[in-house]
Amino acid sequence: MSIATLLNRPGAGVALLLVFYLVVAVLFSALSPWFLSFDNMMSIGANMAFIGLMCALQTPLIIAGGLDLSVAAVAGLSGVVVALLHASGVGIVAACLIALALGAAIGSLNGLLAVRLGLNPLIATMGTMSVIGGLALVLTGGLTKPLMEPGFNWLGGGQLLGLPVPLVLMLLVYIALGWLLARTRFGRFVYAAGSNPEASRLVGVPVARTLMILYTLSGLSGAASGLVLAAMLYAAAPDAAGQHLLTVIAAVVLGGTSLFGGRGTIWGTLLAVLLLGTLNNGLTLMDVSSFWQDVTRGTVLLLAVGLDQVRTRAAGG
Amino acid sequence: MATDSPLLVMEGIGKSFGSAQVLRDVDLRLRAGEVLALLGANGAGKSTLVKILCGVYRRDAGTVRLDGEQVHLTRPEEAIAHGVRFLPQEVSVLPDLSVAENILIADLPLKRTWRGREVDRSALRDRAVTLLDRLGSDIDPEQVVHRLSSPQKRLVEIARALAGQARIIVMDEPTAALTEHEAHALFAVVERLKGQQIGIIYISHYLDEVFAISDRIAVLRDGFNAGEFATVSASRREVLDSMLGTSVDELYPPRGKPTDEIALEVENLSFPAALNQVSFAVHRGEILGVFGLLGSGIDQVGRAVYGALGPMPGAIIALGGRSYAPADPRRGRDVGIGFVAAERQREGIVPDLGVAANLTLPFIDRFTRFAAVSRPRELDYAQSWVDRLGIRSAHLRQELRLLSGGNQQKVCLARWLVEGLEVLILEEPTRGVDLGARQELYLALRQWTAKGLAVLLVSSDAEEVAGVCDRAIVLDRGRVSGRFAGGASPADLLHVSTVKDHS
Repeated sequence: MSIATLLNRPGAGVALLLVFYLVVAVLFSALSPWFLSFDNMMSIGANMAFIGLMCALQTPLIIAGGLDLSVAAVAGLSGVVVALLHASGVGIVAACLIALALGAAIGSLNGLLAVRLGLNPLIATMGTMSVIGGLALVLTGGLTKPLMEPGFNWLGGGQLLGLPVPLVLMLLVYIALGWLLARTRFGRFVYAAGSNPEASRLVGVPVARTLMILYTLSGLSGAASGLVLAAMLYAAAPDAAGQHLLTVIAAVVLGGTSLFGGRGTIWGTLLAVLLLGTLNNGLTLMDVSSFWQDVTRGTVLLLAVGLDQVRTRAAGG
Repeated sequence: MATDSPLLVMEGIGKSFGSAQVLRDVDLRLRAGEVLALLGANGAGKSTLVKILCGVYRRDAGTVRLDGEQVHLTRPEEAIAHGVRFLPQEVSVLPDLSVAENILIADLPLKRTWRGREVDRSALRDRAVTLLDRLGSDIDPEQVVHRLSSPQKRLVEIARALAGQARIIVMDEPTAALTEHEAHALFAVVERLKGQQIGIIYISHYLDEVFAISDRIAVLRDGFNAGEFATVSASRREVLDSMLGTSVDELYPPRGKPTDEIALEVENLSFPAALNQVSFAVHRGEILGVFGLLGSGIDQVGRAVYGALGPMPGAIIALGGRSYAPADPRRGRDVGIGFVAAERQREGIVPDLGVAANLTLPFIDRFTRFAAVSRPRELDYAQSWVDRLGIRSAHLRQELRLLSGGNQQKVCLARWLVEGLEVLILEEPTRGVDLGARQELYLALRQWTAKGLAVLLVSSDAEEVAGVCDRAIVLDRGRVSGRFAGGASPADLLHVSTVKDHS
């Protein structure tokens, strides 16, 4: 059996990622005694949670043939909205609900543009990304808004059953999505819509509705992610999340989801999120400059995509 | 015209992919100036054999000789350098370049000017004209290729092969996208190529064509040489029998006993530029054929009824006596209509879903409880279809894109064969499907019509409509041009369908 056919077995991508993850972990733990400690592991999870939340819904969206580049901008805006509402006297729960509703609304708008009007999702969501990012800057004048509220900050820094709240939140979302994608009719529709939208439509799969739901949920996940980030930082910065858009897309692709739709798993994404978080963490522990961390992340992504090409070719031949 | 010296000799060719032996000890001979038709069911090994010749695949065993000299063609570029050219089924041209540029793209004539080396426009034009002349064509070499008709694009492709000093041209289903008239123009070109001592390997599913154009016929079956015939002395029956491995009479199952009960009645169905006041009725237990040539309206009639083309204002449609208005595919499915589209790759299969998930896709609700799909039930159901139709797949979760065309089509059909389906609409149900699978598909259809299912079988294959259907209608330029109540021969069907003012 050649390497190419081995790589093409189902689950091979995730298995490979796992191996890579373990190699990285062993390497770092050899280089830094700190690395393997429970606290450090938890801090990796907690720090990646807000990115993981965005990835969680980006994954089914991309599997279904969509794409949402505005999600990180939505995260920035939602933090800002909560901070401003709270500062003007609105209760924190109400403020959070408003921010979540706003995220969902922006998601539906993306769906409207990409699905109902048929715009290219890359362009459509790039447009909303720019509009939302701009609005967040306008609303704050470009300044970071403090957000201190014990109940709210628990969302970012608290503990639940001895685990960081953001990590628990993220894991719950992944477990729910894992079940949804693998077990339910909706999950079936997600894969069908991305694999061949026309054939799916012709057998009665509600392709447009499925995508609309996913765009809406993606907006919602952006808003939730923004809340977690603001809670962690005790402040909302209009551009806090925007820079992480590439990490979100990179994690989804690294996790084995095809940008052409139809293929991918939520677990691959989770593993990729943790891998990217671990890389960052380990390199930081080793005092590598954050500039080099960008280089590392990019290299890992290119390697993963290159490997995917090899697999695709093996499948084609 | 054909000389005796063999231009190409392939001997003892063997090839396997993984554990599947695709070719065993296959021989093929081609003389200069000869048209050799290569026939065989899907999966018989035709395309593998041709791809070995063209340097796409490497053979495991055997020899390839060109002009008596052994050659190793391991890359397409090497095959081209030896004068072996492959013309795929889909025309592949560079749409935004001119005819002359397309023809000479691999070897553009250059000249030196004060600006450096530039394309020599006049030499380009002259050489293109010379090559087009050899094909008897007067296409303007300055014309942009995307403006050309499909047969003209085909000509450009052939001229490009000639520009590369082609000695062997392999044509894969070259007339699949052509009208009959256009196909005849292509045959004239093939005659000219023969006259210029070029050897042609012609792959086609259309027996009429093969008998009209070839000098010899080679048949492959299951990776073996199954027969070789001199075309002048061969009969269609013996060629078909050798392709099928059994007698052709067994291909079509016995007809059923349609009831008097009308399952679907369509009146005044019209669609812009395609259908004009089309009316017909299908009885329960009946297979009604709709035959027509390309552009006759057969591409629209089935999907219009199903709802894939949206609402049909003006049409009066009754399903089981109740009025039904097409709206969208979901509506069609929910009232008990099934639809298998002609373009299997684009509109039929969901390539990344497994066999089981594809089978249950239209009626996934029946396997769903509280939003969750019951996988044991789904797999049981899928296994029962895999057994009944002999669907060949490694396991039930194997992605559908990995199955052969015939097996994919079985899945696309079996999706709809559920309790409660009233009418099944099929477009070109056996296009690109091998004879063994065709037989199984027809049998499955007959089993379901025996239970009262009504089938509308839309096809441009006259033999299929004549062989399978209980009654048939013929479309010509969007109108019903003939109605046959049983026993129509392919010739009868063609007679009322010929587009007469197309020359």
